[in-house]
Formats: sequence, C-alpha cells, structure tokens
Amino acid sequence: MVTVTIDDKKIEVPEGTTVLNAARKAGIEIPTLCDHPQLQPYGGCRLCLVEVEGARTLQPSCTMPVSDNMVVHTENEKIRESRKFVLSMIFSERNHFCPYCQVSGGDCELQNAAYDEGMTHWPLQPNWQPYPVDASHPFIIIEHNRCILCRRCVRACGELVGNFTLGIEERGANSKLMADLGTPLGESTCIGCGTCVQVCPTGAMIDRWSAYQGKETEVESHKTTCVGCSVGCSLDVLTRDNRLVRIEGDWEGTTNQGLLCEIGRFTPMGEERNRVLTPMVRKDGGLKAATWDEAYAVIADKLGSVSEGNKQIASFISTRLPIESMYFFKQIFKDNLKAKTATIVNGYLKGSRNLVGEYGMATSLDDVKHADCAVVIGEDITKDHQVVSFFVKRNLPAGTKLITVSKEKDGLDNFAHVSIKNVKLADAIKQLASDLKALEIMKASQNLVFIFGGHAAECEECTKAMLDLAKQFSAKLLNTYDGANGKTAQLFSLVSTDDFSKIDAAYVALGDETVSQAFTQTLEKVPFVVVQSSYISSLTANADVVLPAHTWLEQNGHYMNMEGKLSEAKASLSAPESSACNADILKNIAAKLGLNISADWQAALQ
Amino acid sequence: MAKPKVASDWLCGCAGCHMSFLDIDERIVKLIELVDLRSTPVTDLKHPDASGVDVGILEGGINNTANEEVAKLMRKRSKILIALGDCAVFGGVPAMRNFFTIEESLQRAYIDTESTDSEGQIPSSPELAKMTRVRAIHEVVPVDIYIPGCPPDADIIFYALSELAQGRMPNLTEEKIMWN
Repeated sequence: MVTVTIDDKKIEVPEGTTVLNAARKAGIEIPTLCDHPQLQPYGGCRLCLVEVEGARTLQPSCTMPVSDNMVVHTENEKIRESRKFVLSMIFSERNHFCPYCQVSGGDCELQNAAYDEGMTHWPLQPNWQPYPVDASHPFIIIEHNRCILCRRCVRACGELVGNFTLGIEERGANSKLMADLGTPLGESTCIGCGTCVQVCPTGAMIDRWSAYQGKETEVESHKTTCVGCSVGCSLDVLTRDNRLVRIEGDWEGTTNQGLLCEIGRFTPMGEERNRVLTPMVRKDGGLKAATWDEAYAVIADKLGSVSEGNKQIASFISTRLPIESMYFFKQIFKDNLKAKTATIVNGYLKGSRNLVGEYGMATSLDDVKHADCAVVIGEDITKDHQVVSFFVKRNLPAGTKLITVSKEKDGLDNFAHVSIKNVKLADAIKQLASDLKALEIMKASQNLVFIFGGHAAECEECTKAMLDLAKQFSAKLLNTYDGANGKTAQLFSLVSTDDFSKIDAAYVALGDETVSQAFTQTLEKVPFVVVQSSYISSLTANADVVLPAHTWLEQNGHYMNMEGKLSEAKASLSAPESSACNADILKNIAAKLGLNISADWQAALQ
Repeated sequence: MAKPKVASDWLCGCAGCHMSFLDIDERIVKLIELVDLRSTPVTDLKHPDASGVDVGILEGGINNTANEEVAKLMRKRSKILIALGDCAVFGGVPAMRNFFTIEESLQRAYIDTESTDSEGQIPSSPELAKMTRVRAIHEVVPVDIYIPGCPPDADIIFYALSELAQGRMPNLTEEKIMWN
C-alpha cells in the first residue's frame, strides 16, 4: 500500500493504482475523455492532466501510477487553463458542428467537458478540411469529423470483443480511424456488435436506428435480460413514449459487462412483422376474430377430447419465453395431457443428456473468461452465443489457445491454433483425441474449457467422446444450450421424438419467435392447431385458434442461462390491449381444462 | 446618471438571435427603463452613435468586407462588445461554406441552383462587398462577452443584458451556456 495526498486529502491505495483511480477513491473526479472503466488506460486525450509536486510538467492521471508520498493537485489556475487549451485543440483539430449532431445537448462527453470548464467559446477555427463519412455499414455510421481519436472504439473492439477490426492509420494530424487495413466498415471484418458505438464519447459513431430518436434525458431506461440466446446478457433497454429507441449492454451486468452482439443489440430494432391483434378462431374455413372466452372454450374442448380419447397431442414452446411460461407448459402438456411431444420450437433437444451435470464440474462463463485454452466443439460461436466468442477471442493475444472441432468451416477457424473438421462430428472429436498438437496444448493447459453445442450436445457418440477427453484433461464442460431458456427446457425434460405423423392436435406456445418453413409444413396435416403468438406468420395463418401474446419486451419473467444462472427480465414496453401475457394464457388454459397447476417453478428447478 | 446606451447590428446571420432577444417579451419594457436602446436593425436608428455606446451587440459572423467594416465600426464605438449567437461566436452555419472555395460557393448559389431558369449570373458590380472566408467576430475585432447558442435562449440574453444594466459583467456558466 502507498500513501498519496490528493487536494490535501491523504489516502492509502494499493501499489500500481493510477492517480485517477486514487482520486476517485478520495471522492475527487478528474475530467477524462479517452478513459473508460472497462478499458486499459490510454493517456491520449490529455484532459486528465494534474499537477504532481516535483514533476516538471503536468501529468496524465489516468496512466500514472501513484508513488509513496506523492502529492497531487487536481484544481488550480494552471490546470484549468490546460484543460481549456486541450479542449480548444480537440475542437479545432477536426470539424465539430454541434447544432445538428445527434448527441448534442447532453449526450456528448466532449461538449459536456467544455461546458464543465465554463467555455463559451474558443480561439481557434475548425479544421475546414472535410473528413469522410463512412455509411457503408447497415448499423453503424462513422462520422470522422467528430472523432477525437480517443481510441476507445479501437480498444473496445480489441480488448472487450477480441475482433480487432478497428485501428488507427497514419500518424499525427493524418491519424484516422480505420477498419481492417482501410476497408469501408460495411465490407470489413466488423461483426456488427456495436460496442464501438456504445463507448464512443462523441457523435462520431452513429447508431443508424436510434440517432435523433431521443437524448438520454428524454428516454426511459429499463434493465432486463436479452432473450436472443442462452448467454442472457444484461440489457439497458431505452424507450420513449412506449416505443423502442435503443438497446444497450448494461455495463454493470455480471455476465456480459456491457457487451452485446448484433443479435441482442440491433436485430430487435429491425422487427417488421405484424402483430396478432385479437384472438382468432377458424369458422367456416376462415380465421375469424373471437373473444378470449370463445377461443379458450374451443381449445379446452378440443384438447380435452383429444386427450381423453387417447389420441396424440404435439406441443411446442419457444425458449424465448420465461421460466414461468415453460413451467405451466410442462405441467399442462407433459405432465397432465401426456402429450406425445412436449418440446421446444427450435433446437436440438432430442434426447439431450445433462452431460455437464453427470460430469460434475460446474462451469461458468467466468471460467471461459479466464481460460488459457478453449476447445469449441460442434458449434460456430461467432454465429450463435457470440458473446462467448468475445470472451475467447479477446484473450488470444495474451496467449490463450483455441482449438475448433466442427463439421464445416466456422468463424473461429482463422483464430484457431488447431482446427479439426470432419463431416461426422463424432469422428472429428476422436480426431482431436489423437491430434498431437492439440494434445500437447491441452496437456499444458491449466484452465481448459470445452464449449460445446449443436449436434455435439445431442449425439450419444459425440457426448461420450467429449466426456472421455474432458476427464482425461480435467477440462471444464460448458453446454451452450441454444435458446434463452434452453437449459430450463432440458431441466424440465422437454425432449421430443421426431415423428409428427398421426398427431391429432398441436399446441405451439410460440411467443415472438420466428418459425422455419419446415416446422410450419410439419404441422400442416394436423387437424387442430393452436398457436400462441405475438406476430402473424404462415403458421398462424394455417392455425385453428390464434392467441395474441406479448413480446419479449412486454413481459416480466425469469431466465436461466447456460451456466444455470437465473436472471430477471422486466417489461420495457406496454403491450397492445388485446394481447395477453404468455404465462397467463397458459394458466387460463389449464384452468379451463380443470387442471391444478403450480406456479412454484423455483421448487421445480431445485 | 444617464442610462447605459446599447446598440446592436447583424452581420452574416439569420436574424434569429435578434428574434430570440425579442422573445424576452414584456421584459423589454423593464429593460428600456434600465438602458437606452439606441440603434438596432429592428428599430428606427440603424448605426451606433458617433459619440459611442456602452454596449454593442453583434449577431452573425464575418462573411465579406462589408461585415468587416460594420464590425470594426461597432467595436470602435462600443465600450463592451458582445458576440451574440453561434455565428458571431464561432462562425456558425454560414461558416460551413469554408469547406468550399468562394468560386465554388458563388457558382452553386447563382448558376447551379435548381430554381435558376435562365443562364444565371454571378453578381460582379464593383460596389458589392468582397466575399471572404467566414470568420467568427473575434477573428476580426476583440470581443468582450460571448453568448453562444443557435439562438441563445431569450432568458440568457435577458440575463446578460440585465447584468450589464446593473453594472456587472454577466457570468455564463452551466445551463446558461448552450452552444449545442
């Protein structure tokens, strides 16, 4: 521990603490621009300069470590002049026009810094050399005129996401942000995660969807959980007048710490499907609007008679729905109606074993974040569960090893130290067991993690081969479990058979999920189909009863991610009057069928 | 003691700042009890008194030689000069033509405009002022008080003028600065 005096306050901090962090500990805020709590200090903007007694010049507090008995002053005439000078330099370096910028008026850290210094003007003109605007990317526009070269985006793209797409070209006054080696962003290796937009302090990085839709003081913030996949990233959903404005990663979220992938951040913004606005029942060949009571009556009548007549029911639920809904679904269809199939809409839960449970080594995403070797089996985590790939990729420069084992080419191959491919996955895993380089890597590893999903999780041969290898090398196993409540589905034993022939009735608790054409076609021959859905689709068009349901943004509920961690989702938007909460719909159906079901999902998941 | 004299003029601006000044509404009655409003573009007198005024206010940036002369005149005749609005303080919207050459700007304005139905002609009378790079006022004459904004809020203008009327220099901080 070292002792340091800042603005006459004496405090003790661990060795290696920067002056900036020591000041924060003493309750003193030093203005910064390029600094960010999640990123390594850069020391580029020079706004954080402070006076250190004994030093010849002002020192950057964000990069300077404290030394014992250091005396620091953060406020005096010299420092105030220096800050104004730094800001004047930054403003005149490029072309900063506040009047028409989307972050002007409170959301711009540069503008706020100048206001904090009481600057009504500065002595220099803008650059007047026009800088380019890169609008080639579907989600992100780079306005180079507003860039202050703080490198937060570059550091985030590398240190947090591990993609290393962004960088700076040239030097001095010619320095410029670039993607890859100077490619337009839309043609580069950018994966569209949007972390750069979230960290940018100025209006240089523009989010096409949300620009001008509302300043931070004009929007409402809702903390909730993403239901895009089983990582369960913590979100900060911004809404205005009951409209979705922007989705940001919650920096305080323990799972993702502010990171999101394009599926979590941008895909929901492009929602164009039409809502189901009223319950509908098929009468005289066509779907007609009906009341909830009518619809429930038809369902109870049909499902009840099918079940009593020992005919076959197939039931499906989306893993985007909360545990509350899944628990009601399980009790109704699996436990009570004894449906032939009670499973998830999309996914591979056929006979999936609780492999990880059998193995006994609980694995968390923290293990992935600290792994010195990751073996990714059977899944392309640059497409699904992308945030997991961030945790792996960002550690590669520090020496973490990566091995990919899959049926076909995958997005991690370029990063992998060993890449094994085989049309038959089980054989690929066996190849891994005999690949000398891979064996050497795994043997040397202290924190080995096997991340597996897809076919690897459902095929007996694959899981056996993986289990053997994991035991041999003391590897931790992490099943990615596909959809948001994929693990919940497995714990509720919502497995299925493949045979959908001879089904007399089908119930699809779809929620807001998108179904494939193949799935819709499978149900075409079923005489009675009920679909509980937020949106109109070919599936609802062919159904016999359609029930309007809330979307993920409109409901409260719990989710269990791939680690088995519970998180809560809270509604950010109010749903249309005529639609109903997914859990309530199922509860009402149970009531109409005269079933006694419990709401205690916590007990059920013990 | 005589009331302090105030004069204003506009240069390369849109008159919005003067409109915002007028947005002080009925407070103008109180204001002219405290100050002697001399020349402004919206009142009868158009030029600052030759004997000088206490406070000169300029809206708009410097876009040609005529603006330069007006600015210099106002500076000469004012004890305190205020640059009112983003154009006066920074150059503002008109300053964006600095991205182009003066020739390109004239060509676009007089020849290439979509609504020009005949040949179009760039005015070239020798009596016209010569265009220059668009500049903030402080690049031509020293300025004492900067009130940024596009336009600055009427409340801010009223605050500044009433402070001056009571013999104090206005202190623009926090929410009174709004060059966004």
